[in-house]
Amino acid sequence: MALLQSPHWPLLIDVYFFLGGLAGGAFVIATVANLLDARRYRDVVRTGYYLTLAALAPCPVILIVDLGVPARFINMLLNFNPLSPMSMGAWALLAFSACAGFAALFTFLEDIGRARDLSGPKLVAGVIGGFFGFFLAAYPGVLLGVTTRPLWTNSHVLGALFLAVGASTGAAAMALILLATSRRTGEGVAGLRVMTVLSLLIQILSVVLFVGLVSMSGSAASVSALSQLTSGRFALLFWGGAVVIGSVLPLAIGLVDLKRRSIGLTAIASVLVIVGGFLVKYVIMAAGQA
Amino acid sequence: MARTVAMFTDTSLCIGCRACQVACKQWNELGLEAPEWTGSYQNHAHFTDQTFRLVRFVEEPKTNGDLAWLLMSDVCKHCADAGCLNVCPTGAIYRTDFGTVNINQDVCNGCRYCVAACPFGVVTFNDDTGTAKKCTFCNDRLHNGLGPACAKACPTESIQFGFREELVVRAQKRVETLKGLGFKDAQLYGADSRGFLGGLNAFFLLLSKPSTYGLPDHPKVPQKNLFVDSLVSIGSALLVGVGALVAFRRRGGGED
Repeated sequence: MALLQSPHWPLLIDVYFFLGGLAGGAFVIATVANLLDARRYRDVVRTGYYLTLAALAPCPVILIVDLGVPARFINMLLNFNPLSPMSMGAWALLAFSACAGFAALFTFLEDIGRARDLSGPKLVAGVIGGFFGFFLAAYPGVLLGVTTRPLWTNSHVLGALFLAVGASTGAAAMALILLATSRRTGEGVAGLRVMTVLSLLIQILSVVLFVGLVSMSGSAASVSALSQLTSGRFALLFWGGAVVIGSVLPLAIGLVDLKRRSIGLTAIASVLVIVGGFLVKYVIMAAGQA
Repeated sequence: MARTVAMFTDTSLCIGCRACQVACKQWNELGLEAPEWTGSYQNHAHFTDQTFRLVRFVEEPKTNGDLAWLLMSDVCKHCADAGCLNVCPTGAIYRTDFGTVNINQDVCNGCRYCVAACPFGVVTFNDDTGTAKKCTFCNDRLHNGLGPACAKACPTESIQFGFREELVVRAQKRVETLKGLGFKDAQLYGADSRGFLGGLNAFFLLLSKPSTYGLPDHPKVPQKNLFVDSLVSIGSALLVGVGALVAFRRRGGGED
């Protein structure tokens, strides 16, 4: 009889992991675009920074309402525990929110014509925030690894996987918004197509490593938990949803689209990436807590 | 700093009377729960937010086809290197001067990370208080010069309370005695402070290998993963960063 207990983190936590990852990914992409050519990628940068703020806005609320005693959320910020990914994540969320707020504010000041060119200050907020953005995208995976849950504790790549999902979903969401809102989408969307494909490659590699490392971990409990994912009750969602529809199919479409440069294909691939990115996190959370 | 105290649970003396479980409930004012059918006399299957001491009734198949009953009164191990304490983001989980591990109910905000980080499935979540719950080693009794209620109530001295180093010596002698009597698998679990988790402040004498009781043979603190998992994440971040540089490098023309 296995002794371990499940934390039973609710679906909203999956939503937070998804939004935090997407925000971190979008922010880093916008920052790199701003770094390489602020003028040419102006639309990418403003889309990325606005999207980051929008995705980030519900995150603190989600985290607070899911606590057993929501009013005591502040206790997380009265303590600093480097051994606890959750503690570090709370601080990273705070620091990232500040950077994302400044980046969006500078973008907004440019947009309403109160400032001509704030790409310099944006770069400062972007580079500092980029570090915390990466942190926010990756730490939930490390948090799951630093538990005794059999599916998570022997995988070692969940942080890497979650970060890659953050980058792919961030790029895909930016591409969708650019396609829907901007008339001149050319270079920006082209860059996002490449970014989506590269992130998907890292994402798929991480999933392969995840399955491989857990199955070779030598722990009967971990192998049994993995079988729930690969051949048990989560198999359809994992293989069909997270892997095929959410990762491999959009990668195939994306590769074709690199040459084809079709708005329709980009839109389809982007929607699949976003749905798939959520499913990757959802199914790992669900199977790991079952 | 007070000397480290411990509980030594000698399962060879346990008769499964559950006086410890009842005494724990009484002293700590833990509420009623609906009983559950576990296939044996054991109730409940796992620790709950109302059950901090739990007598496990384990049936071990013998070579002749019969079943041998292994009884074990289980409890929070108060690990010297405690996963729950390590992951707590609020500092609610703390180590007392006695070396025991406690949850400050006025600080815990119910994030449930400790529930997922315990190697033994000890910590549970209470929906009414919204906080994490587990054995307190009867912290209030300890501060008044008394041992835990479970040890006090045990009629066979299967649960013994005392200073850790004295109990370990006593436990080692007891293992030798039992081996001499023919219990060849008799062994201590968590007594060695150089062993797993830095030793358990509630350690056990088992009559079979730990996994027979559902205990992990080599429990590990989840923080063992922190370095490697973080390193792999940094690798992934570098790849994504390089990917973004490649994706947005300057290139000529190309409109949709």
